[in-house]
Amino acid sequence: MAIDALFQPVVLFFLLGALAAFARSDLAVPEAVAKFISLYLMMSIGLRGGGEVAETGFTHDMLLAGGAGLGLSFLLPLPAFALLRGFAGLDRTNAAAVAAHYGSVSVVTFATGSEIFRHAGMAPAGYMVAVVALMETPAIITGLLLARAQGGDTLASRGGLFHETFLNGSVILLIGSFLIGLVAGKEGLAPIAPVFDVPFRGMLCIFLLDMGLIAARRLMDRRALTVRTVALALLLPAVNGTLGVVLGVELGLDAGSAAALGILAGSASYIAVPAVMRLALPAADPGLYLGMSLAVTFPFNLTLGISYYGWLAAHLWPLIRG
Amino acid sequence: MTETIHRRRIEVLADEPLIPAIIRLAAEAGITHYTLLPTLGGAGAHGRWRDDQLSGATAKVMLLAVTSADHAAAFIDRLAPLLESHHLMLLSGDVEVVRGGKFD
Repeated sequence: MAIDALFQPVVLFFLLGALAAFARSDLAVPEAVAKFISLYLMMSIGLRGGGEVAETGFTHDMLLAGGAGLGLSFLLPLPAFALLRGFAGLDRTNAAAVAAHYGSVSVVTFATGSEIFRHAGMAPAGYMVAVVALMETPAIITGLLLARAQGGDTLASRGGLFHETFLNGSVILLIGSFLIGLVAGKEGLAPIAPVFDVPFRGMLCIFLLDMGLIAARRLMDRRALTVRTVALALLLPAVNGTLGVVLGVELGLDAGSAAALGILAGSASYIAVPAVMRLALPAADPGLYLGMSLAVTFPFNLTLGISYYGWLAAHLWPLIRG
Repeated sequence: MTETIHRRRIEVLADEPLIPAIIRLAAEAGITHYTLLPTLGGAGAHGRWRDDQLSGATAKVMLLAVTSADHAAAFIDRLAPLLESHHLMLLSGDVEVVRGGKFD
């Protein structure tokens, strides 16, 4: 099964945004509009996932996927940290901050991948939305432990860090919308489907146009990236994503859900984790962690990664489970 | 002619996630009245930056306070050790105000 992510409108709009930025066009999506669409996408994903789980109920697969997601989020920063220190030559603080990003997830990459897989007849199970929410935070804890963040070198109080880590807007909205979808069920969600279901793809196109502009401009503006950090920003998603897919298939998840687990393992956060890192590890360079996660890994996943994770899941599944 | 009173104007440019903590430091120094101003973008030692409502990690906010010399000095003492590590920009200057009681 070929999944031509590159020719989907959502990906093409991302490329359009990137090209416009490289051409130094003044094209811009108003900031408030982008923020609104970001909230809309998380609400839609959460509602859809909750509604689907209301139909299927809590299953053994859901528990397995949740456990796998938690484990990946806690553990993926460890090899990333070692590579960032040993190969890229980063200091402890920067390596820990970047590693935390690669253990966490990109909700937009998941949303885009899910839409592409749905279009290809490989829709991930609804409970994968809950896995997204579960995987947002553990990597932050691992990252802070790796940095051995002390209270003395940060402005943040413990309460402030706890608040930012566990109660950030993305987590609240994803989990909250998921629970609302669960309670309302498919019947309760039907009246609001014209708002949250039908326009989803179109809204995603506008959002990815803005992401293309932001990613390309960040690549042009910042001097923090080196050849080795760019290489790792390409290698880490490929390796982590492969691990996620293999784990998903081994656990017996359906091909779409295994591919989605690959997306989550191979993606890097650029919304929730950067804000926490700015507070907890102020000495870490945001140009570096945002440059890697947003300017390199995100475009890689969008153009090549999603297709690769889907292809791998589709081909591995019959080999291992067939 | 209206009499004016001497006060100190403090401006702190910081990444948005750090602002709540900076407000807390200001309060510890006795500064409880301030204004937060959004920014569009700029350039510094680490390259160019723009308003960033997506992650908020690199969006910068200006905290503006007008206060007494003592409170200003206490605030600067608390911020000075953090300027380099937290990428802060601190400006301090003299201003004249009409209602001194409003700017203690």
